[in-house]
Amino acid sequence: MSWWDYIILNPFTNVLLWIYNFIGRDFGLAVILFTILIRAITWPLNAQQLKGAKVMQDLQTDKDWLEIQKKYAKDREKLAQEQMRVYKERGINPFASCLPTLIQFPIIIGLYQSVTRALASTPLTLLQLGRSLYPFMNNAAGLIPLNSHFLWMDLGRPEGIPFPGGFTLSFLPYGFPTLAIVVAFTTYLQTKLTLPPSSNPNDQTASMNNMMSIYMPLFLGWLVLNYASGLAIYFVASNLLGIAQYAMMGRVNWRNLLPGGSKPASSNAKNGK
Amino acid sequence: MKRLTLISFILLGAILLGACSGAAMRGTSWPGLSADTNNAYIANGQYIYAARLSDGTKLWQYPDKAGAQEFFASPLITPDGQLIVGSAGTDQGLISLDPATGKEKWPAPFTGGKDRWIAQPLALNDTLYAPNNDGSLYALKLATGQLLWSLSIGKPLWGAPVTDGKLIFLTSLDHFLYAIDPGSQKITWKVDLGGSVAGSPALSADKTTLYVGSFGSKVFAINSADGSIRWTAKTKAWVWSDPAFNSSNVYAADIDGQLYSLDASSGQNSWANVIPDGPITGSPLLATDGVIVATESGFVYSLDHNGKVLWSTSVGGKIYTAPIASGNLVLVAPLGAPYLLYAVNEKDGSMLPWHFDGK
Repeated sequence: MSWWDYIILNPFTNVLLWIYNFIGRDFGLAVILFTILIRAITWPLNAQQLKGAKVMQDLQTDKDWLEIQKKYAKDREKLAQEQMRVYKERGINPFASCLPTLIQFPIIIGLYQSVTRALASTPLTLLQLGRSLYPFMNNAAGLIPLNSHFLWMDLGRPEGIPFPGGFTLSFLPYGFPTLAIVVAFTTYLQTKLTLPPSSNPNDQTASMNNMMSIYMPLFLGWLVLNYASGLAIYFVASNLLGIAQYAMMGRVNWRNLLPGGSKPASSNAKNGK
Repeated sequence: MKRLTLISFILLGAILLGACSGAAMRGTSWPGLSADTNNAYIANGQYIYAARLSDGTKLWQYPDKAGAQEFFASPLITPDGQLIVGSAGTDQGLISLDPATGKEKWPAPFTGGKDRWIAQPLALNDTLYAPNNDGSLYALKLATGQLLWSLSIGKPLWGAPVTDGKLIFLTSLDHFLYAIDPGSQKITWKVDLGGSVAGSPALSADKTTLYVGSFGSKVFAINSADGSIRWTAKTKAWVWSDPAFNSSNVYAADIDGQLYSLDASSGQNSWANVIPDGPITGSPLLATDGVIVATESGFVYSLDHNGKVLWSTSVGGKIYTAPIASGNLVLVAPLGAPYLLYAVNEKDGSMLPWHFDGK
C-alpha cells in the first residue's frame, strides 16, 4: 500500500462506509453526506481562496496597478518588479487564491477514488476495498456488497436511460445520459454564478474564467459519460454545495446568468449595454 | 496561449483522474486462466489468448482488434469442445469460441445479461449455466447460446457454479449459498454464510458435502442435500477463493495470506501458522505431494500435507489468479508481470524456459 492509500484513500473510504452504514445503507445518500462533510472541512480553504481571489480582482481596477501595467507594458522584467513591490507594500500574497485550490486537489482526487473503491465493481477493486478497511469497521463483511442503487441509477456503472424500442447508439452505450447533462449544467451554473465581476476589459483572469465555464462542464460531462454514476452524484452535490457556499458568503453573481452579464463592465459600457 | 494553458490543465486533470481509478472503472482485474492437456487459455484485458504449452507459442487471440470487451472470467472448456467466456466490458457478451482456432461458434454472443460476466459458467448436459453480475443465473442452450430460462437471485454472482449432477450450487455476494434445481428452475435451499462469497464451493467426492469460504472470515461445510451447516471453521481474514478438497482435508486460504488445512469431518485446523508471504486469492491447487498456492507477492509455493514448504518459485508481478494444473505443469497468470503466463514443474518448481507474452 502506498502513502497515498494510508493518508488519503483509506481514511476517506472508511468514513464513507461508516456513513453508509450509519444512515441505513444508501450509497447515494452517503456520497452526498460525505461531500457535505468534505466541503465543511475544506470551508476555511475555500473561504481563503475566495478572499485571495477578491483581493486580486480588486487589484485589477486599482489606479496604481493600472498605471504600472501601462508604464512598463514593454518591459516585462521591470513590470514584474513593480508588481512585486505593490504586493509587498499592500501585504498581498499573489498565491493566496491558488494555494487552497492546490491543497484541495488531492482531496477531490481522494474523494473520487474512495467512491470508486467503495463501489468495488471488479474482483481487484473489491480486494483492495477489503484490505483498506479499519478494524473499527468490524461489520464491513456484512456491508458488502454495497447497495449501489440510488433513484434510477446503479452507482457502480455509468448512468443512462435506455432509448425506447431497444434503440442504441455506439457512442452512448448506456442510453440517454441524463446525469452527464445534469453534471454539465450544474458545473456551468456554478462556474458562471461564482465568476467575480470584472471592470477591466483586459483582465486575463476573467477571460480565463470565461473559458473555464465552457470547458469544465464539457470535461466533467464527458467523465460522467464514461465513469460510474457514483462519481456524478459527487459532482452534482459538490456543485450545488459550492453555489450554496458562495451564496452564504454573498459572492454569488446572478447577473452572470444573463446574456453578456459576465463581460467586463467597461466593455459593456462601450457596447452601450 | 491562455487557451492552451487551460486545455493542458483539463487534460492533466483527466489523466490524473484516469490514472488514479481508471482501472476500477474500466473493469480491470486479474486474468482468468484455464487449460487442457495441450494449451492454456488466458482471459486478460481486452483479449483471450491461446498458448501452446509445449513451447509457449501463441495460437490465436480473440478478438483480432480490441473493442468494448474486457475479459477476466476464466474461460470454460466444455465437454463438447467449446471455449466459453464472458465479457466484463460494455458489450456484456457471453461468447463461445473454438479452442482450436479462436473463431466464434455460436451464431451470436449471448447479450441477454444486464451486467458484466465475472464468473466462469458451468456446462451440464446440454445446458450452460452462466451467473451474471446482475444477480441472475442464465440457462442457455449449450450448442447455440439460446436463452432457455433465467433465475433472478439479486446481488452480483462472481463464483462459478458447481453441480452434483442434479442441483446447481451457486454462491453470491449477497452472503448466501444457493442450491438450484434446474428442472423446476427454483431455489431448493439457501444458507447464509455471514459475508459475501466470491469463490465457489468445493464438493466432496461422495457429493454430500460442500466446502465454501466467505468474507465473514469462515469456512463452512454444508450438507448438499438440505443446506444445513455441518461445521464452521474461523479464519483470520476474508476467504476469497474456493477451498480445495482431498479425501480427508480441506485446504483454504485467506486474504491475509494464511493457509488452513481443515479436517474434512470436523473442520479442525491442523496448520497453526502457515503464512507463505502474502495475500492469497487463488484457490489452493491439490498436488501429488500436498498443495500449491500462489501469493500476491508473486511467488508460487508447494507445501506438503504438514504445511512444510517443499519449494518456492518467484514468478514476479502479483498473482491473484488461482494456479492450475496441466499434466505435470503448474500454470500461473500474474498481474503486472513481464509475461502473461508462466509454467513451472509441479515436482520441483523449476520454471519452463518459455514465457508467454501474448505477442
